[in-house]
Amino acid sequence: MTGYPWPIETTRLDNGLRVVVSEDRTAPVVCVNLWYDVGSRHEPTGQTGFAHLFEHLMFEGSQHVAKTEHMRLVQGNGGSLNATTNPDRTNYFETMPAEHLELALWLEADRMGGLVPALTQETLDNQREVVKNERRQRYENVPYGDAWLRLLALLYPEGHPYHHATIGSMEDLNAASLDTFKAFHQQYYAPNNAVLTVAGDASPAEVFALAEKYFGLLEPVSSIPPAPHGHLPGPATQPVRETVTAAVPAPRIYLSHRTHPFGTAGYDAITVLAAVLGNGRGSRLYQRLADGSRIAQPDYIGSYGVDLAHAPAPLIITATAKDGVPVETLEEGLTEVIGSLVTEPVTEEELSRAKALLTTAWWRQVSTVGGRADTLSRYTTQFGDPGAAAYRLPQWLAVTADDVTDAAKYALKPESRVTLTYLPENGDNA
Amino acid sequence: MTLIATRPDPGDARPYTFPDLQRVTVAGGTVIGAHLPGQALASAMLLLDAGAAREADGREGTATVLAKSLEEGTEKRDSAAYALALESLGAELAPGVDWDTFRAGVSAPVPQLLDAVRLAAEAVRTPRLDVADVTRVRDDEVTALRMDWAQPGPRADAALRADLFGAAERFGRPMHGDPTSVAAVTVDDVLAFHRAWLRRPGVLLVAGDLSTLDLKALGEAAFAGTSGEPLAVEPPLGVPLRDERRILLVDRPGSVQSTLRIGHRSPERATPDYVSMTLAATVLGGAFTSRLNHLIREVKGYSYGIRGSYAMSRRFGRFEVAAGVQTAVTAPAIVDTIGEIARTQETGVTEDELAVARSWRAGQLSVEMQTPGSIVGALSTLVVHGLPDDYYTTLRSQYLETSLAEVSDAAARHLHPHALTLVVEGDAAVIRDELVAAKIGEVVDAEI
Repeated sequence: MTGYPWPIETTRLDNGLRVVVSEDRTAPVVCVNLWYDVGSRHEPTGQTGFAHLFEHLMFEGSQHVAKTEHMRLVQGNGGSLNATTNPDRTNYFETMPAEHLELALWLEADRMGGLVPALTQETLDNQREVVKNERRQRYENVPYGDAWLRLLALLYPEGHPYHHATIGSMEDLNAASLDTFKAFHQQYYAPNNAVLTVAGDASPAEVFALAEKYFGLLEPVSSIPPAPHGHLPGPATQPVRETVTAAVPAPRIYLSHRTHPFGTAGYDAITVLAAVLGNGRGSRLYQRLADGSRIAQPDYIGSYGVDLAHAPAPLIITATAKDGVPVETLEEGLTEVIGSLVTEPVTEEELSRAKALLTTAWWRQVSTVGGRADTLSRYTTQFGDPGAAAYRLPQWLAVTADDVTDAAKYALKPESRVTLTYLPENGDNA
Repeated sequence: MTLIATRPDPGDARPYTFPDLQRVTVAGGTVIGAHLPGQALASAMLLLDAGAAREADGREGTATVLAKSLEEGTEKRDSAAYALALESLGAELAPGVDWDTFRAGVSAPVPQLLDAVRLAAEAVRTPRLDVADVTRVRDDEVTALRMDWAQPGPRADAALRADLFGAAERFGRPMHGDPTSVAAVTVDDVLAFHRAWLRRPGVLLVAGDLSTLDLKALGEAAFAGTSGEPLAVEPPLGVPLRDERRILLVDRPGSVQSTLRIGHRSPERATPDYVSMTLAATVLGGAFTSRLNHLIREVKGYSYGIRGSYAMSRRFGRFEVAAGVQTAVTAPAIVDTIGEIARTQETGVTEDELAVARSWRAGQLSVEMQTPGSIVGALSTLVVHGLPDDYYTTLRSQYLETSLAEVSDAAARHLHPHALTLVVEGDAAVIRDELVAAKIGEVVDAEI
């Protein structure tokens, strides 16, 4: 079986830009997606949050596109657009009515090749404030909002490219200078550091010709510095624990482990393990702690991997205590269920349930041209082959109960565990 | 020159089409199917005329507790067996409640959809509703609401709703209830709601590859053992407005942002002004380049984003602006927001702005309707509001053809900058004096 039944055609322009096309004429829509192989893992000390702040600047105009015009042209022609930054990479994408494919390519080329002349101090100052508000809104002003920021620092040692969070620190954001961003663009936003994928209502020949027309004359950058090395000798050997007393409504625990990099057989086993353990009402965590001993709130229990590819990726397991349940009891319960993955082998029923849910999740991800384009850009950027996307689902389905047990034995040892606990300020469980 | 300076012209547009619809009447209910060839997944939704509006006074949240109790076991199997059966199909039940409807949706690979719908119907029609289970789900829901209400937003939403619709009225209280009303819900309330409203056939919506889906079999599974005629729709509530603006302050000590919920009442979904109002709101606060987002985010840097829109249900509507703004700029952000609402009301929109709004709304009908899940959502709009099968094709033309005069006229008639209720959820000790000094309106502490 294949997880990607649509055609894939690829080419590489002379300047190194990889172009991927996946034609599907079902609906008159097309997605243009670009992955730049730069994320917060590339940020040096003192420049945390720069890759993400830079992503904002990419919407503020370029050589032939006036400030605010990018958004106006995409939405004003019926499209949806966005961009995201994570530790690994930065992606930009717009889904348009198919007749505007060429417009989308023109816009992307103009900001790949012509951002610097349009970049002003005023724009930087404005977007710095927007990003600081993003930080307030997503991380600082919500209960448990900083959990991910704390987990990264506990999971990865100082100096590791995943140690700091993508949103960055307020101090570093305040110190960001215009010249730094101009240099950042010249360094990383090069055709030979990007993948362009077009999925939907367009033919490969048409896209290849347009890619050559709009991107073909952009200069490659000769030496793009790699991110600091993400190598780690294996799972952590010392448990780490942090307890935060904060304005939260109930005690909550996050348990986390470094596992394997996304894309490896080991991480496929972790993906299935996470589904067995914590995806859905039939999962072990739900059955034993929400439905069974009833110590965890049913709406806030689960486990999931964070699909990072350049170092062992985190598995996160979380539960929130029900009223009156001591946080110690909740932690004991979680520890016991995690331990059961080794002591009570996963049954065929559990395995097929997990795989059925993963199958649906996979098909949902590729049900839109946007989801497909992003998937192909990922596999091209991270594994050099968009066709490798087709293998992920079959590889999940090939994971055995023994693989899950082995993954648990390797990655989920108590001595490699990060335990992050939130306690309400008033000291009770309310 | 390495870049092409000239912006390309569009190619030839392919005609817009909404998926072909098929209707089947079976076992006392109606199935509406939308054909999406080539999709690996299919979605189905059982849509019942059993919205939050049907809950008893003081027991708001009854329907939500019922929704969350459905998977605690059925007449046939216990909760663990039910979860295993459903999830082994790759499906999860998504029961939900809004003002007008009770919905139970499932998505699964096409060959598994019939079994998934059978299981969904088993939970909706014949849940076990054991006393101890319902009591526990009720208590868990109280806790879950307290968790939710600890976030910025829900308390501000509740304060705005109470002010616009009246705290004593069902529509003036939160759709899913509040921690107090849910705590008052009894097992009998839940059983009575199920008996009265969930045993009627309703409508089954299906989106997927109809060449292999059997709509009749799906309908038989969804409607087995049901009875009852469609219910009458009650009339709209009208659009009463405040005489003057007022600020409701919801205290959130230490908050680094102020959460704004600013609005007034508006017509219900059936209003003939729906399209022109939607376009006016898109110019004011819908698109990224909208007046509000441009000024508050892109020029002033006060916020990560600000949105304004009309939300409309069968019997009422409301205009609302929502944003989180940095605490230090709370008052100026509100003043600027009112300024843009007033400017739009007084002078209407421009042709350039309207061109963006028209094309965006029209284009979104294809761009955002690619999946079985989104098509099922679109079908539910047709059913709830009694719209014809060719509605989306007509809507697209209307978006593209509505004139500047019509849109500016809708802004003039359906925006009320002097009747706004402005809810501010933030650090009252820091922002109160500034809000009073800004003379926007009387500042009142919200009773939340």
